[in-house]
Amino acid sequence: MNTFERYFLGANRWALIVLLGSMSVIIFANVALRYLTNESIEWAEEVARHMMIWLTFLGAGPVLRYGGHIAVDNLQDALPRQAAIALRAVIWLLLLGFFCFMIWYGLLYMERTQFQTTAATQIPFAYIYAAMPIGGVLLIIHWLLITRSYLLERRFAQDAHFDANASASL
Amino acid sequence: MSASLILILSACVFLAMGVPVAFALGMSTLAALTLGSSFPLMVLLKETFTGIDSFPLMAVPFFILAAELMSGGSLTTVLLRFASQFVGHKRGGLGYTNVVGLTFFSGISGSALADAAGPGSMMIRMMDKAGYDRPYAAALTAATAIVGPIIPPSIIMIIYALQDERVSVGTLFTAGLLPGLLVAVGMCIVNWRISTRRNYRGDGERPGWREIIETSIRALPALLLPVLILGGMRAGWFTPTEASVVAVFYALVCGKFVYRTLEWKALPDILARSALLTASVLIIIGMSASFAWLLTIEGLPSMLAEWMSAQDFSPWTFLIMVNVFLLLFGLFIEPLPGVMVLVPILAPVAAKLGIDPVHFAMVVIYNLTLGMITPPVGGLLFVTSNVSRVPLGPLVKELKPFLLAHAVILMLLTFVPAISTWLPRTLGFK
Repeated sequence: MNTFERYFLGANRWALIVLLGSMSVIIFANVALRYLTNESIEWAEEVARHMMIWLTFLGAGPVLRYGGHIAVDNLQDALPRQAAIALRAVIWLLLLGFFCFMIWYGLLYMERTQFQTTAATQIPFAYIYAAMPIGGVLLIIHWLLITRSYLLERRFAQDAHFDANASASL
Repeated sequence: MSASLILILSACVFLAMGVPVAFALGMSTLAALTLGSSFPLMVLLKETFTGIDSFPLMAVPFFILAAELMSGGSLTTVLLRFASQFVGHKRGGLGYTNVVGLTFFSGISGSALADAAGPGSMMIRMMDKAGYDRPYAAALTAATAIVGPIIPPSIIMIIYALQDERVSVGTLFTAGLLPGLLVAVGMCIVNWRISTRRNYRGDGERPGWREIIETSIRALPALLLPVLILGGMRAGWFTPTEASVVAVFYALVCGKFVYRTLEWKALPDILARSALLTASVLIIIGMSASFAWLLTIEGLPSMLAEWMSAQDFSPWTFLIMVNVFLLLFGLFIEPLPGVMVLVPILAPVAAKLGIDPVHFAMVVIYNLTLGMITPPVGGLLFVTSNVSRVPLGPLVKELKPFLLAHAVILMLLTFVPAISTWLPRTLGFK
């Protein structure tokens, strides 16, 4: 792993940690305050919801890297090696195209919603919807980083803490 | 109609190719919007955001996090020892301990994953050491881990309740208790038959009373969590999402101050792992929200509902057809996208035929959950195979009697609605 990849991964990981940690603290504080002081934090629910949107799109890239987006692999396994590689090349391009769509239309959507503001915090919705184009950029970077091992052997990066089949076994 | 056709066909093609489910659903929505509909492409983004931007949905990351916090460290050991003191000394004792331990653990975890990867993998190692066949231990674990999403809390039930406004999370959680116990009993019966045939011996002496009381007190905080969650929701103290965040801090306090095995420096890893799992779940939810939105707006569910009622099917015929369809569907597709895509189509039909929505929900959830252990594609099989290092072949072979037991339980759930509906009704959930 080169320096860029290491810092990129680290930053992405810490963003996720901070988002999930803050969501938990904010919502718990809100519940606790309601019982202790009979008052609640007006912006708690909204901010946590919007953090969850960011969490989803910032997390999609690393999940892609670790092979955590579940897929049906039976056809690829049944094909001869060359054909399977060709099929994966098609998938690789399709996904790249879809990520570009996420960025392009994500930016358009931001433009369209820049003057609408959220109910409690009064920030422009564009800041929340920016999660999709930025998530799309991250997805593309993670996708490019694993291109070779994915195309040749459908191999993803390993992570000691994350099982690639996790979301398939809820 | 042409949009629905493009939507479904392209989704099938993308999925068969091996495009990840989340993006396959997004891409087919995009294709249908471009080629067969007059809606602007922007609705794809709008519906995706709407799908994720939901406070009830936030219970998903929190229950994931709570289970991750609980499953590290000695809590798992304590729960297993607690289970073992009732059944450990019998023939096949470790097998029963596995089943009972996982059932208790399901009261903390909302997914089969947490059950199989936590106490499940620990039990596989212990059973192997005690002379059980390793593939059998793995199969027992995979088959029993199904109770994770059946016994509350349950991530899949939270998502189901979002897709069908006829049922609430509290009702589904309560409805899952009896079916979950039924599954545990079924797995115990299989374990009894096989242990007798193969003469798997029990685990020594039954512990003394003193020890039993000590272990029970140690296990109490973990056993109380599901009571706290269900009771708190029933009493109106908190919503499911608030219950889930209470579970997070309860788990934190238990791990840090009661069991003292949770270290602050382990927190970033736990948070990162939970966040990754959350993202992989929510991206599917977002993409399938826009997929399901287009399917609904193009009128497929209502057309299907009309056609079904014109056929004059009895509710039972419909339930059988749904079961067969879901079993076939579940061979390849996991519960999460299954619930997201199929529930908006099937639940209205079931309601129209007069099937109790809670009963229908339990049948659908249990059936789709079984898809995780039916080959060729079964997430839970892969996870269990990973943690136990048992290859898929032997694992699937040992799984057969368990699958038979699950089939019997599925029929019971289908034809005896009271198993699902009696408890929530008695406890006053609506």
